[in-house]
Amino acid sequence: MRLQLTWGDIAAKDITMLRRLRASALLPLSLFILSACTHAKKAEPANTLHIASPAKIKGLDPVQADDLYAGDEVSRPYEGLLQYHYLKRPYVLVPALAEALPIVSKDGKTYTFKIQKGILFQDDPCFKETGGKGRELTADDFVYSWKRLADPKNNSPGFWIFDGKVVGISDWHNAAQKAGTADYSKPIDGLKAIDRYTLQITLTQPSSQFLYFLAMPFTYVVPHEAAEFYGVEFANHPVGTGPYRLTESTPGSKYVWDRNPTFRMERYPSEGETGDQAAGYLADAGKTLPLNDRVVMTVYEESQPQWLSFMAGKLDLSGIPKDNYSQAVSASKEINPELARKGIRLVKSPGLDVTYEAFNMLDPVVGGMSPRAKMLRQAISLAMDHDPAIELFYNGRAISAEGPIPPGISGYDPAFKNPYRHENIARAKDLLAKAGYPDGKGLSPLVYLSTSSSTDRQLSELFSKMLANIGVTLDVRTSSWPEFTASIKQGKGQLWGMAWQADYPDAENFLQLLYSKNARPGPNDAAYSNPEFDRLYEKALTLPDGPQRTAIYQQMVKIAAEDAPWVFGVDRLIFDVVHPWTKNVKLNIFDHGWCKYVKIDPSLKK
Amino acid sequence: MKELTAADEANLIEFAVPEGRSLMQDGLRRLKKDKLAIACIGIVIFYALVAILAKLGVIATPWDVKVAGSYSPPSFQSLPLIFGTDNFGYSVFYKVIQGARVSMSVGLVSCMISTPIGITLGALAGYFGGWIDEVVVWLFTTLSSVPSIMLLIAIVFVLGKGLGAIYFALGITAWVSLCRVIRGEFMKHKTRDYVLAAESVGASHFSRVFKHILPNVSHFVIIDVSIQFMSAIKAEVILSFLGIGVQGQPSWGVMIDDAKLELSRGAWWQLAAATMAMFFIVLAFNILGDALRDALDPKLKGHA
Repeated sequence: MRLQLTWGDIAAKDITMLRRLRASALLPLSLFILSACTHAKKAEPANTLHIASPAKIKGLDPVQADDLYAGDEVSRPYEGLLQYHYLKRPYVLVPALAEALPIVSKDGKTYTFKIQKGILFQDDPCFKETGGKGRELTADDFVYSWKRLADPKNNSPGFWIFDGKVVGISDWHNAAQKAGTADYSKPIDGLKAIDRYTLQITLTQPSSQFLYFLAMPFTYVVPHEAAEFYGVEFANHPVGTGPYRLTESTPGSKYVWDRNPTFRMERYPSEGETGDQAAGYLADAGKTLPLNDRVVMTVYEESQPQWLSFMAGKLDLSGIPKDNYSQAVSASKEINPELARKGIRLVKSPGLDVTYEAFNMLDPVVGGMSPRAKMLRQAISLAMDHDPAIELFYNGRAISAEGPIPPGISGYDPAFKNPYRHENIARAKDLLAKAGYPDGKGLSPLVYLSTSSSTDRQLSELFSKMLANIGVTLDVRTSSWPEFTASIKQGKGQLWGMAWQADYPDAENFLQLLYSKNARPGPNDAAYSNPEFDRLYEKALTLPDGPQRTAIYQQMVKIAAEDAPWVFGVDRLIFDVVHPWTKNVKLNIFDHGWCKYVKIDPSLKK
Repeated sequence: MKELTAADEANLIEFAVPEGRSLMQDGLRRLKKDKLAIACIGIVIFYALVAILAKLGVIATPWDVKVAGSYSPPSFQSLPLIFGTDNFGYSVFYKVIQGARVSMSVGLVSCMISTPIGITLGALAGYFGGWIDEVVVWLFTTLSSVPSIMLLIAIVFVLGKGLGAIYFALGITAWVSLCRVIRGEFMKHKTRDYVLAAESVGASHFSRVFKHILPNVSHFVIIDVSIQFMSAIKAEVILSFLGIGVQGQPSWGVMIDDAKLELSRGAWWQLAAATMAMFFIVLAFNILGDALRDALDPKLKGHA
């Protein structure tokens, strides 16, 4: 999942900051844009959960949900076959819409899922045959939803999870591309609804990651009626089986989700990891989900208003902006006494992410595998040192990233030192001269894409200054998050800052970011391509977790460090603050549907 | 005509008193008596000097070096630390000075663009009237019907962010008020005796517009420039605060934007320094603009 570079600002996911817009005067524009509002506004329930996002939401279509913010948002109305256990660590998969984990054939290639009976899509006018009543979910809906992922018309950034892995899906994609339109009635060999409630998936080769994919937002199930009825507006009209339904929205900026009255019976987990009992995470064991009646999600692109809203009790949890860190957290990395007196708690978790500045590998100057371009990238990597940012932007809540794999993910090698990671101006100048740009002469300013928050501006100022040391200048261009990601897909910059948070607990999720077949619009934004790296990646895919695979991963990390398609940044820690009335907040990196577990106790709210 | 115009008066005085004073000399004499105005001129000259010295690299250079730790509070240990340091440990004092350079340059360049536009269009419209007048009036009413900050943002987005875009955007939007005044004055003056006299001795349109009428309305230009200069400084700060102004250089607007984040950690000095710097120059221009009007606009003679 993509996320913003300066989330130091606004941490990552659960970190999701909440906020509400009770004072609508704050955003007079929103009054005019409430067009997507389909239901009359009801009085706000006392147990409403208020959360926030630091970036605008690009839409609510699961096949487009490749960033954290959209991924979290689509997880309110939609669900997939599997999900992560909310409390258990290490992370384990549990069934969501599936009845149980699948039966896997002996050769490891065929997965058979039983889907729960009696699951209903939420009521929506798109179900014309039933007069707006939601119909029952069937196995065919998964076949349809996953074909949407492969439909070239949708240009989904998530197709990589099935591409080349599910038998026949790539052919289906290619045929659709050739024909100019996708034929959804054409079967895919590896994707079959055996009967109404049985789904069978056949893989081209065994995969140790495949089950993880089925918990990712890309694979959430959508009814064909809705996608057809709403057309391009589908991204603003979610119709799913999930715990919430959209009541009101300002597309991109604010979403009000109400409890879905036809949500399946799901209960709060009754077991967790050691210590969860004592921490109170099991107090609601066995209760029907969701535990709150409404979720209000508002986008705060700037960190200060969000922090002030949290302090005023208008957000129920929040990340900690860099400038409020010392106010919130003591030197011993515990909650500050002043906040502790108000009952505010601190929740910490490894971020399982990596930040990087990606080079556009298709660019004639910085891209490509010529020795000249490679030396230029290495020189820039040596000058653009992220170490000062650890204190300045993350308050020490981060460590240097030497390669693409963060600590906490199997395959991370603590001993590995990237030869181009830390500042070395002399060496950088030397490489730059060898690349044919002595002291930066002959090199036009590099186009650096960034988002427009004040913190991102400060970060780009830091990088500009560092590159000035070797005579390289940056032409910084800023925009909002959705525009920024779109510009990257279109290859509009030469360099841009990005962060990637694990989708599942396997280093493969980070290495696939550099696999050439995942090039943009897939997750390989840089469009890096090295046949040797690809060969090792494909080889590792077939191997189970173990020393042999880890050895290959380490080799791949070395290749990536040498080719320098990224300037490696940092691996972060997530620090969230939570109000006393907000219960059951346990940071879960992979579970985007976490809102349904959070309980608001209005009696504790003053 | 109820009141005497500047031109009339100047002419009268010249006839009556051989050692007469021109409009400008007269204005200057009156300005000299206004102590507050003199102080304001001093402030403007001081800012201009600071800006020039910063531009020449004599003072506050280099500004982007670490002089102390991140967010060191103001101290009198050394000059760069007098206003403390920012996030990166750069001297806020140096940044304020460099910000003055940016602000003064924006004021100067944008006025150099907008003033000729305002004078030319106003003179042509007022002097010739007819369809030229209609076109010019249409142009400036249209332009002024768009909220100016929105217009500036739109232009900056089209041109790409940066100082050049700000110069240009301010330059081509800020001429409206001057144009209005000049147009009105030209309409008044073109039928005055001295213009008719010039016409009768064969002065061309060009000569009548630029040689005869313009010098007699030039004091409006001076008044307008002093106001425009200040508006340009304010606009630059606003645009930079919004992140679409100056890029990669210190600016008071960028400093205030930084302060938005750091105030909550108690680092008030960047905000204080930038707003103080801005406060004095804007106030000085405001008072100066008023004083100039009093001194130069004969309509207000005796009211000062």
